[in-house]
Order: sequence, then structure tokens, then C-alpha cells
Amino acid sequence: MDFSLLTTEILVALIGLLVLVVGLVLPDRGKQLVGKLSLLALAIVLVYALIAFPREASYFNGIYQVDVFGNYFKILFLIAGILVMLSASKYIKRFAAKSSEFYGLMILATLGMMVLSASGDFITMYIGLELMTISFYILTAYLQSDKRSSEAGLKYLILGAISSAVLLFGMSLVYAMTGTTIISEIAGAWTMQPAMAAGLVMIIAGFAFKISVIPFHMWAPDIYQGAPIPVTTYLAVGSKAAAFAALVRVFMLAFPPGSISFNWNIILAVLAVLTMVIGNLIALTQKNVKRLLAYSSIAQAGYILVGLVAANTYGLKGVLFYAMLYVFSNTGAFAVATAVEVDAGSTDIDAFNGLAKRSPMLAAIMTVCMLSLAGIPPMAGFVGKFYLFSGAIQAGYLWVAIIGLVMSMVSVYYYLGVAKAMYIGVSIDENPIKLDVPAQMALWACLAGTLLIGIYPGPLSNFVQTAISMFL
Amino acid sequence: MFEFILPNAWLIPLVPVLAFALIGLFLHRWPKISAALSIFSIAIAFILALVIAGGVFSAPAGTVYEFSTRWLDMPGLQVDMGLLIDALTAVMLLVVTTVALLVQIYSLGYMKGDPGIASYYAYQSLFAASMLGLVIANNLGQMFVFWELVGICSYLLIGFWFGKYSARNAAIKAFITNRVGDFGFLLAILFLQIMFGTLNFGELSDSMAGFTNMTILIPVAILLFCGPIGKSAQFPLHVWLPDAMEGPTPVSALIHAATMVAAGVYLVARAFFIFSAVPQAMTVIAVIGGFTALFAATIALTQNDIKRILAYSTLSQLGYMMMAMGIGAMTAGMFHLMTHAFFKSLLFLGAGSVIVAMHEEQDIWKMGGLYKKMPITTWTFIIGALALSGIPPLSGFWSKDEILLGALASGHIGLYIIGAFVAFLTALYMFRLIFVAFFGSNKAGAEKAQENSAVMTVPLIILAAISVVAGLVNSPLMHNAFGHYINSPAGIEPHPSLIIMISSTVIALAGIAMAWLIYQKQVISAEDLKYRFEGIYKVLYHKYYIDEIYAWLGARLVDGMAKVLYWFDIYVVNGFINAIAYVTAITGEVLKFTEDGQVQTYALYMFAGIVLLLVSALYAVYTVLI
Amino acid sequence: MIGLTHYLLLGTVVFCIGLFGVLSKRNAIAVLMSVELMLNAVNINFVAINKFITPNDVTGQLFSIFVIVVAAAEVAVGLALIISIYRHRKSVDLNDFNLLKW
Repeated sequence: MDFSLLTTEILVALIGLLVLVVGLVLPDRGKQLVGKLSLLALAIVLVYALIAFPREASYFNGIYQVDVFGNYFKILFLIAGILVMLSASKYIKRFAAKSSEFYGLMILATLGMMVLSASGDFITMYIGLELMTISFYILTAYLQSDKRSSEAGLKYLILGAISSAVLLFGMSLVYAMTGTTIISEIAGAWTMQPAMAAGLVMIIAGFAFKISVIPFHMWAPDIYQGAPIPVTTYLAVGSKAAAFAALVRVFMLAFPPGSISFNWNIILAVLAVLTMVIGNLIALTQKNVKRLLAYSSIAQAGYILVGLVAANTYGLKGVLFYAMLYVFSNTGAFAVATAVEVDAGSTDIDAFNGLAKRSPMLAAIMTVCMLSLAGIPPMAGFVGKFYLFSGAIQAGYLWVAIIGLVMSMVSVYYYLGVAKAMYIGVSIDENPIKLDVPAQMALWACLAGTLLIGIYPGPLSNFVQTAISMFL
Repeated sequence: MFEFILPNAWLIPLVPVLAFALIGLFLHRWPKISAALSIFSIAIAFILALVIAGGVFSAPAGTVYEFSTRWLDMPGLQVDMGLLIDALTAVMLLVVTTVALLVQIYSLGYMKGDPGIASYYAYQSLFAASMLGLVIANNLGQMFVFWELVGICSYLLIGFWFGKYSARNAAIKAFITNRVGDFGFLLAILFLQIMFGTLNFGELSDSMAGFTNMTILIPVAILLFCGPIGKSAQFPLHVWLPDAMEGPTPVSALIHAATMVAAGVYLVARAFFIFSAVPQAMTVIAVIGGFTALFAATIALTQNDIKRILAYSTLSQLGYMMMAMGIGAMTAGMFHLMTHAFFKSLLFLGAGSVIVAMHEEQDIWKMGGLYKKMPITTWTFIIGALALSGIPPLSGFWSKDEILLGALASGHIGLYIIGAFVAFLTALYMFRLIFVAFFGSNKAGAEKAQENSAVMTVPLIILAAISVVAGLVNSPLMHNAFGHYINSPAGIEPHPSLIIMISSTVIALAGIAMAWLIYQKQVISAEDLKYRFEGIYKVLYHKYYIDEIYAWLGARLVDGMAKVLYWFDIYVVNGFINAIAYVTAITGEVLKFTEDGQVQTYALYMFAGIVLLLVSALYAVYTVLI
Repeated sequence: MIGLTHYLLLGTVVFCIGLFGVLSKRNAIAVLMSVELMLNAVNINFVAINKFITPNDVTGQLFSIFVIVVAAAEVAVGLALIISIYRHRKSVDLNDFNLLKW
């Protein structure tokens, strides 16, 4: 076995642990510096991961898989992590003495996501999932002085633990019916029995919790609102993408569509439609941008799920493509919200009033990112939705695609509500919002990503095509 | 060098785009640096264009270099983007970069002291980039994108002095009028995509060869021609171009005389294989072109604003080019496009020089005797006017002659007569302008006028030199080199005829002579003519009342229809939409309260969900098993 | 003879008891304990399945050990969170924690 292929994971683990340990012994200023250095290190790892993209290997009888699909997601998590931590550089001052642990936990969460997306076995998958989730429990409650933050942390922990239990129960049923926990071996070893169907449904439910699919979404708005905003961002773009990666891997490898009499696509289709409809409808009524983005990201999960429902080339391509552009667009929107929260201490829509006059660039980035989320061309979101919905139409789920399109139209309303506040609203404070350099870098990167992917989707599309080739 | 630049020809538009981005984002506070950067970038583009032209014209005629890459791959839709470089492209690249470079240098003097210099140069760079992108596009879709971009730049630059009410209105008018034409263009693009499954020029040309259903192609070709009607300001969408003179004069020279308005002609040349396959469309093009040429030339006779005279002259010359395309003389049309670009931008820049010297005075009757004060401007202007009038051996002579020759050779006698008459009118109105503005009796306003600085006069001299010699490339003296490289199998290639040459020279001289008699010697009184032909004069002076007719039509048709639709909208559509929106909002409001903050409620929902899923899954499995 | 079915039934019953606790208990610590019950039900499943279906390898046992370890970590974090929230609210009753809603 060639362990050099695990370099990405090993490096991320090392960086995370080092930051934790070194941060303990250093004075406050040193802790900030450690964080910055760890970002630099992550950037180097990202470059390495890009170079190592095509390399593949399988470890311990397939328990751990290094393949293009997993590598694609590793790159995604690294990009997301770096962007989120850059955008948070000013916000982190609120954590004072605990800022280096913040970086450490974020990096360990990244590691969890990587393991989750690359695992070839239920056990590894569970470990990755929990590494990610437990880090997030702590991060969610990281603002100790804020009642909401610790409340969100506790809620997340209880609901998360229940969902893990459900997931595990489902896994145990599948294990009972097939005698193995290795995903690729499951494919040939099962027959459709009631217990098998029950196991499958529970696995779907377990992952549906992580990607906040209705009716397993209830945690998301509360936790998104209560958590420190960088954590919210990472939950929305990273944790969700990781759960999608695992879901795609399990269902495409162990239960390939068409091979079984039991049609899981239809279950996912119903869930996706519910998610798109309810997520968007509730988002219409929100007055807090963080909570609004929470419901929006529930709805976005519904769109992405449509790709898995279709389970064909375009659908899967859409899932991966959308996950990537979602990193840029959503992080961009959240980064602006972060800047506003640092400045005004609130993320209510009123806090965005007059932002276009105060900081035109911030308002513009927010608008572009939100229009991308709404799927307006030429922003990236349009291309992503095009892939997702045309995949669904190709697979015969026309009704899902139509509902998705109608709901995208609905979503424009609340996205533009924020734009309206920024461009028409009047603010007492006329001073521009001051940004530090890392946050600016993150904002520019998000804007560039959103626009470039939208205008010239070719390269990313090819990249994604390679990544999903193993399933088709 | 050529080998490297050729596949990387996208660098040509990219360099100005970079300049635009840098100025727009970072440098707009430093006007001088902005201007320098913009000029530097267009100079690089110019050098690259030179290299490409060198390569193309040293290769055998008909060599086409095409580079293409997949832009978009979607279910049922593959879109490519790419570069197409042949002789046509090379000529356009050279013309655009040369004129743009000279105009940008000239603008240093013209725009001196303007507070908006940085944004002026940013727009100039964006325009150059868009125009160059338009020229090297290898498919109609890509071309359309840049087509719209040049439209936007034109809009921005016409309305550059947006403090002026008339400038704002002119900008809006230009944009809207162009949209009308672009709508047809876009429809044609869609039809072509549906019919042939591609927008690539080469592939379209190939599939056109085997296409037999000509009836369906007629509307498509005419829709496609709507684009050039708008952009090249052909009748009846010509109304925006004279108003576009509200922009700074260098802008008029570059965009509204030399390059952008010629994009329509370029499109017809590029898609010549489509038009030439449809004789009906060719007739439409020829007639519209010929009519515009005559129509605009007559208006030019009566205008008093120096820039408006030139604007109508541009309209008329664009009509000339279109007419050439329509009669199948594609080579002649492109040739005239090239020569016209040089001498018309020269004339505009000359007019700009006069305007600066006269402190924003544009009425030719308030000028006079400028030749003593501004010798360089005067003599270069006269060279430009001679070239435009078609006096040998200046460039306009060769290109105009070829169009007339083509009209005769293809049997369009009527169009030949129109063309010859327009040539006469052209000489007449140009020299009316010259005799009145430069040689007329010295007026008070012209006394303080003085020659402008070198930064403005050197571009004039260079353009004048080009205007003199540019025509030779397609003269018998150089064995018709231009036509050797740029031609179409469907086009006509008449042999030069001495009779035509002599007759058109005589016609042009007659025009000049008549202008001399009326406006210089005043043997025939201009005032007298005005009274004797009062009716005609009024109609011409008011530009055939086209603007008024449009306004009337707009008020009756558009507004009337709008009123009906407004009623429908308010009471039917709105009611319906509001009801939907209301129901949606209420649903959201109700659903919101499912989220009550109690973690155990959340858990309950989750389990309810799991139970529901389990029940349905088990039911499904049982139905399968039984 | 006690077979796999009995163990799986036991597992399911314990899971449901845990579930009931999660839904009905108001004390956060009791809820955490109920969650533990659910996880342990899963452990029973894994070990029993390992014994009866794949007696030759130890996948199921391995899995349950991992679950135990992770559950311990989860509880540690959970208790820490409860302490942290107790400092603010002087309460561990889940009914009191509804600042975040709608």
C-alpha cells in the first residue's frame, strides 16, 4: 500500500493537531498568528490536492478509498475551509484567547469531511461523520458569552446524536442482510427484504439530517442563527457537501439505480420536492439574514438532491457542480453577512439598510452571490441548476424539475428583499464598513468564483465529469 | 512570432479588457495613468494585429485559421467559443486597432481637463476589446455577445457627458433603436441554431451548401439583416446615429464612423454565404443600402452642424457599403469599409480639432477663414474630403469606383445611377462644409482660433497619409491585392474600366465645382436656392420628419396599446399574481410556526418523518414481494 | 433456543425506549442518557449480527467498539455544553431553551 496517497489527509490532521497544541502554549498574539500560518499551510495542501487529483488507491480491503470522486470533494472542502476562515479573520477576535482552538477545530472538521467523502466502509464513514459533527458541536457553542450560541450547540448535539443513532441502526440492518459493511461489497450481496428497505430508509434519514432535508431540517435554522457566523457558513457549505458525497457514494455504489426493484429515487424525489417547497416558503417570512440564509440553504439542499434523484450523468454532474459553486456563492453571501455583523453587531435585514451607499462592493458581492443562489444567469447558480434540472427531466422526473423551477422563482423574492434593503434602505451610519485584507481576499475569491463558473463553466464541468466517471 | 500569436489571438481583445479592469477597479483616481495604460494596451493590440496581418497576408489567399474550444456542454446544447482568423479578420483587426490607437492618442488633447478622463479611457478600452472580440469571433453567438457589448460601450460614450439632457436622451435613443435591430438578429441566430444545430461560420457555410429549402431561409436572412440595419444605422433605424454626435468627437470618430457602425457591414460580409444564397435578401440589402445612401446624402446638404453633416455622410457611406454587399460586390464593400474608416475618422478628428479651437462651436456658418489659423487641420481635412468625394488617386476613389463598377457589372443600372448621384452629392456637401467653415469670410468667432497641439495634429497627419495611400491596395497598381485575399465565391469580380473611372472623377469634380460656385464665389446664391426650393429644403432640413413620425407613431400605437395592456395588467394579471403571492406568503407564515424552538418537537418531526418513510417503503416492498 | 431475531428484537426495544426517553424527558441530562440507550441498542445489534451472520470476522464488534468510543466523546461534549448553558440559564430543562425559534 502506498500511503503517500494519503498525504492530503495526513497533512490536514497534522496541521489541525499542531494548531491545537501550539496554540495552548503561545500568548494571545501568537494564537492569531498560528491561525494565519495554518491557513497558509492549508493553502499549500490545497495545491497538493489539486496536483494529486487523478491519483487513486484503495486501502484495507476498500475501507478507505482514494479516488477522483473523493479527491474532488477534498479540494472542495479545502477551498471552503480556507475561504471561511479568511472571511472570519476579524470575527475571530471575539473568541479572544480561544482563537487558535477555533482554527484547530475547523481544520479537524475539514478532516472529518474528507474521511466521510472518501470512506469505502460504513465504519470509516461513521468515524468521519462524527469527527466532523463533534467538531461542529463545539464550534456551534463557541461564543460562550452568547446564550444563543450555547443553546444552538445543545440543540445540535441532541438532534445530531439521535440522527447518528438512526443512521447506525440503518447500517446495522444493512449489515444484517448482507454480512458486510464495505460499500462496494454490499452491491452484490443483498436481496430486497423488508428489513433491507427499513435499513435503507434509516440511512437516508440519517444523511437527510446532515443535509437538512425536510422533515429532518428542523435543527438547521436554529443552529445557523445561533452559531458564530463562520461556523454557520462552514456548516452550510462544508458539512452539507460532505454528507452529499457520502450519500452519492453509498447509493451509487451499493444500490445502483435500476438494479433493484426497490426504487429509492422516488423517496428522495418526494423529500427533495418537500424541501424545495417548504424551505423556500418559510424563507419568505424571515427577517434575519442568517436565518434567511439557513432556510435558503435548506432549499438549496433540495435542489442538489434533485441531481441524486435523477442519478444520471447530468444529475450527478449537477450535484458536484452545484456543491462547488455553492461554496463560492454561499460563502460570499455569508462573508458579507459576517462583515455586517462585525460592524453592526446584528444580522437582521435592517442592519443591511443602505449598505450599497456605505460599501458598494460588499452590496454588489452580496447581490451577485444571492442572484447566483437564485439561479439567475450569468451567475454560476444558473448553470448548476441547469445541470440538475435537465438531469431530472432526462430521468423522467419532469414534475420535480418544474417544481424546482417554480420554487427558484419564489426564492428570487426573498433574495431581492435583501438587495432592496441594501440599495433602497436608508442607514444612519454612513461610514464604509472596514474590512481587513484576509476578508477582502475571501470576498474577491467568492465573487470571482461565482462569476467565472457562471460565464465559463467548461473547465469545472470537465473536472466534475472526471470525478463522477467511476459511477457511470 | 506569427505561430505563437495566431492561436493566442484572444490576447488582442484581452489586453484592452485588462486595461479596462485595472482602470475601473484601481486606477480611476489617476487620470493620467489611466490614459497611459489604455493607450499602451491598444498599442500592444495594434502590434499583435500587425503580426497577424503580416502572417495572414504572407500565406496563400483563402487560408483560414480557426481555434475552437468547448464553452458550454449542457444536455442538448453544446456551445463552442473560438477564434476565426482569415484575411477579413486581419483587415478588420488592423483598421480597428489603428483608428482606436490614433483616436485614443488624439483624445489626450481633446479630453484635456475633463473630470471624467479615467472613465473615458476605461470605456474606450472596453470598446476596443469588445470590437476586437466581435471581429475574431468564429460563431454568431459569440459575435452577438460582443455585438451587444459594443452597443453598451456606445451607449456609455454617447452619454458620456450625462449632465447634458440631450446627451442622455441620445444615449437612450441609440440603445433602444439598436435593440430593435438586435431583436431580429437574435431571432435569426435562434432560427439558425434550430435549423442547422450550429452557429459556427465554417460549419454553417458547409451545411448551407446542401440546404435546399430556400423559402424558410428568406425570413431568416432578413431577420439576420435586422442586426446590421440597427448597428450600421440603415433606414429605417438610422435615427440614432445623428443624435449620437452628442458624445465626445473622438468617440464619434472611432465608434460612430470608423468601427462599430461598420460592424453591420462586417457581419454581412462574414455571413455572406447566407445572404448570397437568398437572392431576395440580397435585393433587400441592396435597396435599403442604396436608399439610405441617397436619403442621408440629401439631408447632409442642408445641415449646419459640422458633426451632423459628417454623421449623415457616414450614414450615406454605410448605405453605399450595404448596397455593395447587396449587389454581390462583397470585396468592394469591405474595401470601402476600410478606406472609409480611415478618411471618415480623419474628418471627424479634424472636426473635433475645429470644435476645440472654436470653443465648442459646431455651426459651420459661425466659422470661416480657419485655413489661415489652422493649416494642418485644414489641409488634412481637405485630404479627407477629397478621399471621401472620390478624387483619384486618394483611397475613396478606388473603393467607391469599385462599388459603382460592381453595380454596373451586375446589371443594377438603377443602383448605379443612385450611386453616381450620391457621389455627386457627397462632393457637394463636403465642399460646402469646407468652403463655408474653412474659407468663408472671416467671422468674429474664428478669430481667436488657433492650431491645436501636436498630440491632436499628429494623428490627423497620420490618418491623412493613410487616407491617401490606403486605396492603392486594391488598385490595378498593386494587382488588386485586397480582392485577391478578400472575396466570396458568390461575389462578383468586375474588371476595372477606364470609362467608369473617368466618369466618376468627373462627377465628383462637378460636385466640388458646384460647391465652389455656390459657397465660395457665390455665383449662385445659396439663399436664393433655399427660397426657390423651400418645400424640399424644409423636408430635408427636418430630416424627412422621420423623428416626428416615429414620435407620432409611438404616441398613438405604442402608448395606446400600452394603455390597454396596462388595464389588463392591473386588473387581470395583477389580481391573479397577487392572489398567488398572498397564498404563498400565508403558507410560509403558517409553516414558520412549526419551528417552535423546542428541541423535542424537532425530534418528534424527525421521527414522524422516519415512520412515514418506513411505512411507505415497507408497503412498496410488500407489493413487490407479493 | 435464543436466535438472532431475539437479539434484534431486544435491540429494537431498547432503541424505542431510548427514543421515548428522548422525546419525553425534559431534563437535558436524561435526554443525553436516552441517546446513549439508542446507541447501545445499535451496539447490541452489531454484536449479535456479527455472532450469527458473520461469525468468522469481527466487523460488527469493531463497529460497536467505535460506536462506544465516539459516544463517549459525544457525551463529554454534551455534558460540557450542558454546564455551559447552565451557567447562563441556571436550568437544564429543555423547555426553557427556546430563544431561537420561528
